[in-house]
Amino acid sequence: MNKEEILAGLKEIISIVKPKLDLQNVTMKSQLVSELGIDSLSMLLVALAVEEKFKIKFDSASYFNTVEEVCDFIIAAKK
Amino acid sequence: MSNYFYDMLPAEEAAQLKYIPTVPEFVEWIGKQYAECPAISDTQVTYSYSQFCERIARRRAFLKQQGLTKGAKVAIFDRNSLNAVELFLAAASSGCVAIILPSALPAPAVVGSCMRFDVEAIFVRDEFKPLTEGVKAKVFPADSIADETAPVVKVDKEDPAAIFFTGGTTGAPKGVVLPHRALMRGSLNGVFAPGAQLKCHKTIGLLPLSHVFGLIRGTMSVFYAGNLYVTAEDMKATIGKLPAIKPTCLVLVPGLCEVLLGLTKMYGANFLGGQLKTIIAGAANVPPRQIEAFEQLGISLLGGYGMTEGANLSSGNADVKSRPTSVGRLYPEQEGKIVDGELWIRGDNLMTGYYKDPENTKAIFTEDGWLKTGDLARFDEDGFLYIVGRIKNLIILANGENVSPEEIEEPFYKNPCVKDCLVSEGEVDGEKVIQIEILPQMPAFEGKPWSEVEAFMNKLVGEVNATLPSTHRIIRTVVRQEDFKRTGSLKVSRNQ
Repeated sequence: MNKEEILAGLKEIISIVKPKLDLQNVTMKSQLVSELGIDSLSMLLVALAVEEKFKIKFDSASYFNTVEEVCDFIIAAKK
Repeated sequence: MSNYFYDMLPAEEAAQLKYIPTVPEFVEWIGKQYAECPAISDTQVTYSYSQFCERIARRRAFLKQQGLTKGAKVAIFDRNSLNAVELFLAAASSGCVAIILPSALPAPAVVGSCMRFDVEAIFVRDEFKPLTEGVKAKVFPADSIADETAPVVKVDKEDPAAIFFTGGTTGAPKGVVLPHRALMRGSLNGVFAPGAQLKCHKTIGLLPLSHVFGLIRGTMSVFYAGNLYVTAEDMKATIGKLPAIKPTCLVLVPGLCEVLLGLTKMYGANFLGGQLKTIIAGAANVPPRQIEAFEQLGISLLGGYGMTEGANLSSGNADVKSRPTSVGRLYPEQEGKIVDGELWIRGDNLMTGYYKDPENTKAIFTEDGWLKTGDLARFDEDGFLYIVGRIKNLIILANGENVSPEEIEEPFYKNPCVKDCLVSEGEVDGEKVIQIEILPQMPAFEGKPWSEVEAFMNKLVGEVNATLPSTHRIIRTVVRQEDFKRTGSLKVSRNQ
């Protein structure tokens, strides 16, 4: 799975967590909190959905600022 | 006495329920009343009520051996674990005053809280032990338990049972002292919901035990009703296990309700386990659209009203279909009235006061024992309560967190490029979020394009966010070109 495919999968999840968000604005550089408005509980939902979709596990100390950091974590976890 | 709540239950259950005014009497009662019923499970081991109460008695023996007797302040620093629940009940049934620290508390706040609340002993989960360095109290592992048992200690219903944090995000929260009568009144109130409630539910302790709603409604009420409580040390992992745990009832905040709705959209209603019939939501306003969305899944979402100072449960609403915007009717023995638009409450659920803070205690109580809630409210002709606004300057988020705007504003005022700022409740995609409006100190940006000013402020918000607890982060930033509306003393008005 390459980074672009993972981004597409993440966008699918974000579209459910944040239905009113314009997905065109979601890029690798998007800040999860300040740009996409993903607060701690939305993050919980994103994390659960990412775990289910990509069959990986986050540890409780994981912290991400940007979409790209999530993508990189998924790639590393799938190796 | 209001029959609204007793009439929700089958007659034989209503007849069984009685108000037990102290935790020691309560622990003895549940041990006998529900002896063989399953009480608590961490999904690996399940204890019956008699086994559970025996373990609590062994924890009491440990407390006694350490010289922790009546009146001693005992802190618990753990996740939502079997240890934490047993320790809480052991401390309160030994006459000690239990203080459950939030599990996300950073080290300086752990030390500060222990000093502030005169903690004599702290029971700590292994992974949190490094955070207790510097604590001037005895430190014990959270799984400390004696081989022998010790009986409950007789207490007066006015004796303090627990202290809860409220209204602070940093080092100096207020401590709400709940006496036994208040804790137990709140716990009984939490049992009322339509239909059979005793010995027939399985619920999960998803909300933090350090929050009064998580401890009283989410935990104590479950034991009051003889139901099965599943511990949740890791919220995310436990939600992932909902299909296997199959809860019948959950106690949540509206933010978590949203998470569950999102999961059902992605994976279907069966993700919730297929047995869930009731969700009790509180600590923040329940949006009517959530009530509707859960209704379509065959789940009743019931809301209510309460505050930490009132042992959390003052009113409950079982008529969510006909009155979705109401927080329901006042519980038995709870009085309420509206004075100049503000809700005042009185009853045996109220705190005795803020810990070592006579000034704030005096300010919130009237001389004849009414507690001024700071919430603007009205009653309809049938006695249903509606919260319409707030007098006090506090943001209440969907996750139930109370955020004081001034504390978030403080670091911005330390930056010379910020002239003024205002933190308030904003909206992003229809959800309540924390927002900040910043008025730049323009001479600092002389000759710079506006985009640069905005970029600077967004970066500053990011830096401040990194220092805040994840639940308190600023989601929306507005950089103002026009000045704020100001008060007579030229301060930024909170009503823009």
